[in-house]
Amino acid sequence: MKKMSRILMIFVTLLLATSLGFAQGQVESAGKGELPDEITIALAAPFTGLGSILGKDISQGANLAVEEINASGGISGSKLKITIYDTKANASVASTVVRKALFEDGVVAIYGPNMSSAVIGVHTMAKDAATPMLVGATSPTFRFTNVGNPYLFRLRADDGVKVAMQIKYAVENLGMKKPAIIYGSTDYCTAALKVAEDAFASYGIDIVAKEQVREGDKDATGQILNMRQAGFDGLIGLTHEPEASIIVTQVKQMGIDVPIIGFSAWGVPSFTDLAGKAAVGVYSVQGFNSSDDDPVVQEFVSRYQDRWGERPSDPAQCYYDGMFVLKAAIEKAGTVEGEALAKALDEVEYMGVQGRMKSDEHHNFTSLSYIAQFDGSEWKIIDKLQ
Amino acid sequence: MTLQFLSDILQNLVSGIAVGSTYGLVGLGVVFLWQSINRINFANISSAMISVYLFYSFYTYVNMPVAIALILSIALVALYGLALRYLIYEPITKRGASKLEFVVATLMLTVLMMSVITVIFGGMPKPFPPIFGESGSFIRIGSITLSTIYLYIFVIAGVLIIFLHMLLRKTLVGKLLRATAQNNEAAQLMGINVNLTTSLAFVLATTIVGIAGILLGPIYFVSLELGGGSIGIKGFASAVMGGLIDPYGAILGGILIGLIENFSTLLISSTYKDIISFVILITVLMLKPNGIFNWTTKKGEAGQA
Repeated sequence: MKKMSRILMIFVTLLLATSLGFAQGQVESAGKGELPDEITIALAAPFTGLGSILGKDISQGANLAVEEINASGGISGSKLKITIYDTKANASVASTVVRKALFEDGVVAIYGPNMSSAVIGVHTMAKDAATPMLVGATSPTFRFTNVGNPYLFRLRADDGVKVAMQIKYAVENLGMKKPAIIYGSTDYCTAALKVAEDAFASYGIDIVAKEQVREGDKDATGQILNMRQAGFDGLIGLTHEPEASIIVTQVKQMGIDVPIIGFSAWGVPSFTDLAGKAAVGVYSVQGFNSSDDDPVVQEFVSRYQDRWGERPSDPAQCYYDGMFVLKAAIEKAGTVEGEALAKALDEVEYMGVQGRMKSDEHHNFTSLSYIAQFDGSEWKIIDKLQ
Repeated sequence: MTLQFLSDILQNLVSGIAVGSTYGLVGLGVVFLWQSINRINFANISSAMISVYLFYSFYTYVNMPVAIALILSIALVALYGLALRYLIYEPITKRGASKLEFVVATLMLTVLMMSVITVIFGGMPKPFPPIFGESGSFIRIGSITLSTIYLYIFVIAGVLIIFLHMLLRKTLVGKLLRATAQNNEAAQLMGINVNLTTSLAFVLATTIVGIAGILLGPIYFVSLELGGGSIGIKGFASAVMGGLIDPYGAILGGILIGLIENFSTLLISSTYKDIISFVILITVLMLKPNGIFNWTTKKGEAGQA
């Protein structure tokens, strides 16, 4: 009898405790129109690994935004909190951490992965978890018009736009008639190759050489020799940063003087830092340029520089604005519930650092890109297109 | 055959030899350890990564003069060799471990070292300090160009090979090392100070690869890629191709791999370069399992088990 009543007591206590907790939660959410006290957001980016290691830039941009948002009262009083996940620049690791973020840690939204090859593997999880996923990755493979994922959004113009712009500039301004393309092996690179091939075809121009480098290769001699044998008069670069630096170095060493224009991976500090002098004169299509003299951009640059001691790069600005986009969507939806939030993201409009951000038919929030040329210390903007 | 084509072949040859010698340089550590204590160290390349990060830290954060930073980095890597012996090799050997267990343990050591470096330095590759002339500097002979770092690699690798070859084949110490490797107990019975030779083996092996690391720094940058990328594996491949007998074999094995890679790209296709290289390597090993540069005259000596 005594044992029974003891068990009963424990059971009732537990029941009371949980129901109290429940009621507590209800009261709190009711007070803010269904927003939890703390809105947890996942940030999945490559902080280590082989490839494009942009994690530091991404987290700096995101954290600056979170600090600014929280300092000005949060979102209707709720504070934003970021949890970081390292994707190790590897699609399978990305799969594991994203799964954890979405299904175990139950975040409200997830930023990244930033590598296209990782996004392709994980975006359906966002749909299954009914959680919005906002990425800076630029492969056109996962456009909304291609994969139809209502929870996947892109905070940049995709390569369908940027690479087309790159080829347009190569043909119309750099006068390339016998272009060669050098490309990497990840989806980011091969999807861009397809866009470049189509773009050249539309001009009726034949690509005289298409050479591939593998991520991690340290010698592109064979590839460059092949391109020279084919008589190329311009180089289109579609590789990641370490390979890009090897390529431009060796092209210059071999005394080959042709215009070189790379896509977004070629327009970031990770490339120019490693390539050094060889990067001078190289053109690139970029998603963001900190030399843009638009006052809103400059104001952002100086705030970022004050906070982090360096100028913001492409991914930093991308995820910075991305955080504010989410804030606008949450305010519009009045909730952090997944489906409503995704719908709000589809409709919301926000004036970011680079101007108007609104999700288009591909679920890209902007179609802005720059053409710029590296002069040894910074990228001089030549053109800015919407 | 046009002059340009011949010139291209020559350029490709030079570049292939250059990049292949980097593989062979890493392979030296593999061969030496095998020849001196009969073990394969899967954390071989970690010595290179550690020396590069140490040098970078001393040079950049402590502002040490280059020579001191270099000596200190290599000295610490030599100590790493001792730590490898006393913290890994000894404990597991006492418990009856043999070659396989050592392989597994050192494989885990690689993972550990990479994590340690990641925690301390983060994941972003940094440019290597320009101690070999500014980055991108090169020489030109006729129409053939070559980055100057490769000249340093050729010279220093050459010195290392000759040194190791002399050490192993022509000195008493070398004889002691090889004897210990062939039969530890017999060596002890013969009065060889096995304790000393074992320490010497580990220290020399890590030091060689530590020096290799400094030479590879300008090419692979100060990055985790040095420790976890394909260079480590290619170092092994070079050593195996060379027959695991003699340092010359490792370098020649490495050069062969570099040439296969570059000529597959030039003559066949850059897309299939890795597959073609792999197929050729497997075929060579199938035909000559003891390595292609197998100079043994006695059948039993090759890659002594």
